[in-house]
Amino acid sequence: MSLRDWPIKQKLTAILLLISGLVLLLTSAAFVTYEVVAFRQTTLKNLSTLGRVIAANSTASLAFANETDATEVLSALRGEPHVVAAGLYDKDGRLFARYPAVLPGDALPAAPERDGYRFDHGYVIGLQPVAEVGNPRLGTLYLKADMKAVSRTLRLSAAIAAGVMAISLLAAYFLAAVLQGRISQPILALAETARAVSTRQDYSVRAPKLGEDELGVLTDAFNQMLGRIEDQDRALRKSKEELRRYATELEQRVSDRTHELQERNEALRRNAAELLAANQELDAFAYSVSHDLRAPLRSIDGFSQVLLEDSAAQLDDGGRAALHRVRAATQRMGTLIDDLLKLARVTRAEMRTEVVDLSGMARDIADELQRTTSTRQVEFAIAPGLKARGDPRLLRVALENLLRNGWKYTAKQPRPRVEFGSIDVNGERPFMVRDNGAGFDMKYADKLFGVFQRLHSAAEFEGTGVGLATVRRIITRHGGRIWAEGAVDQGATFYFTL
Amino acid sequence: MFARAAKLGDRRGMPLAGAFAFAVLLVAGPGLAAQTARASEYQVKAVFLFNFAQFVDWPAEASADSDTTLVIGVLGDDPFGGVLDQTVRDERLNGRPFQVRRYQSVDEIKICHILFISRSEAGRPEGILAGLKHRPILTVSDAEGFAERGGMIRFVTDRSRIRLQINPEAAEAAHLTISSKLLRVAEIISPTGR
Repeated sequence: MSLRDWPIKQKLTAILLLISGLVLLLTSAAFVTYEVVAFRQTTLKNLSTLGRVIAANSTASLAFANETDATEVLSALRGEPHVVAAGLYDKDGRLFARYPAVLPGDALPAAPERDGYRFDHGYVIGLQPVAEVGNPRLGTLYLKADMKAVSRTLRLSAAIAAGVMAISLLAAYFLAAVLQGRISQPILALAETARAVSTRQDYSVRAPKLGEDELGVLTDAFNQMLGRIEDQDRALRKSKEELRRYATELEQRVSDRTHELQERNEALRRNAAELLAANQELDAFAYSVSHDLRAPLRSIDGFSQVLLEDSAAQLDDGGRAALHRVRAATQRMGTLIDDLLKLARVTRAEMRTEVVDLSGMARDIADELQRTTSTRQVEFAIAPGLKARGDPRLLRVALENLLRNGWKYTAKQPRPRVEFGSIDVNGERPFMVRDNGAGFDMKYADKLFGVFQRLHSAAEFEGTGVGLATVRRIITRHGGRIWAEGAVDQGATFYFTL
Repeated sequence: MFARAAKLGDRRGMPLAGAFAFAVLLVAGPGLAAQTARASEYQVKAVFLFNFAQFVDWPAEASADSDTTLVIGVLGDDPFGGVLDQTVRDERLNGRPFQVRRYQSVDEIKICHILFISRSEAGRPEGILAGLKHRPILTVSDAEGFAERGGMIRFVTDRSRIRLQINPEAAEAAHLTISSKLLRVAEIISPTGR
């Protein structure tokens, strides 16, 4: 693990230990160095003191050539065990006395060298001039001391330094272990909090604040940030929850609606099927009834005619009038049955689709109307070139009904006019049949296209109430729509799409 | 080898004879040593006389009327020849120069610090010593029984070595202070008996 990956506790401890260790090492080194230097100086000084004393005591021995006394003086060095050799030289540089008595041959130099005290090859060498104060030199004292004391001091002070260092480092370690917490504790707490936040997404935790220093400020800022995040998180959760609820609700609603629609569809389909069946049944019924009704009706009419032709003389005016009314009623009933059969046929007829020239078809119908009823003059305005896809036979029935309708309801108009064309209505382009006839009240607009529904009496305008119903059947079968606009005495307009 | 103690090897002002003697000592083998020693016996004694000045304190009045010169006197026949003069020439003790004077009788002695009494005079030391009584003069001789008979220091030749006999009482009587160091290398003689 590299140093930058160490936990902060260990880093701090290591730094503190490193610093105190370095300081201790330098201090100990200085201490040992000082000890050794001081001891060496002390050793030199002690040896020179010793040398001066011995030299002072040796003056007379040298001055009066008393070797015995000189040897005795030197033998006092027994009290200084680190002095390994000593020699007294006369002023000619000849060895005069020695210590100890038995010495290896090369222990003492043949002649004294320069005066002074110095370190030499692990020994302290001293060369002390021997003289009475202020008097000529009598000779030289040579002293040789070993450095065992120095090395012993070195060892001792090194041992002391090592001991002090070990104890200090131990103390420093414990202190560091205790005191590093002041710095690392808030950081660790922050890290722990951050970890809790990131692993558990728990934004409610807060780092404990342990002081008012920069770490305290950091902790405060961190906690504030957490607080804001917590608020936002809560808001987010809330809105998510709401969204989810809405979504669920929406789903529920959609599924409800879908279900409802399905049910309705099902019901519609069922209704449609029922309706279809009922319609077919009705149509069949209507056809067969209409068809079957014609035979007795023809008999009534025929026999009424026979009565009028053969027995007119035997009848009074009242009887004849009654017979005429019977005949009129049967004829009207015949027309009614014809219309109903037409309507039924429209419903049942097979569709053959092709392009139909509606304008031409309308002109033919108008011409025919003019020709058959020459007593009336109606102005027809037919737009040219209108075409549509559809069954020509059925479309002719529809168009004839609409135009005849216009012709019929303009009867009381001084300047009757019927228009066929195509105009823009709400983005669509339906075909249009307009007249300036009797018109109708818009509140009955939805009744216009019902079978047998009439807004006017037969006395006012003749008719069976089947025509517009037939038209609507045809338009519906072509997939189109039909509607009407109008007002009483203001004319009526029929729109249809195909 | 007493010769080694002689003041021969002084590098600063080495007398020619000293240098010669030193050279002789260097080249001479042990066989010549005794002869050389005999020849230089008075050389050693001259050095000793010179050295006494370092270990003896004279009372103040002894030097007050003598400028600063230290006087070494020889009474009677001079056995030193020129050796004594050579030994003290150019030497100074605490800045005081030396002078060698020769006397034939005690009466001639006026200012003197160290007096060597020759064998020629030592036969009757009591008389001489009586004449010097209470004067701060260090009396030295190599005569037999000199110290016992009231002299202060005697040279004793012991197997080619020169030893010292010192009579401290006599020196004390003359108000001379002999260094304990000097006393230590000497044989103490007490004529009054203890």
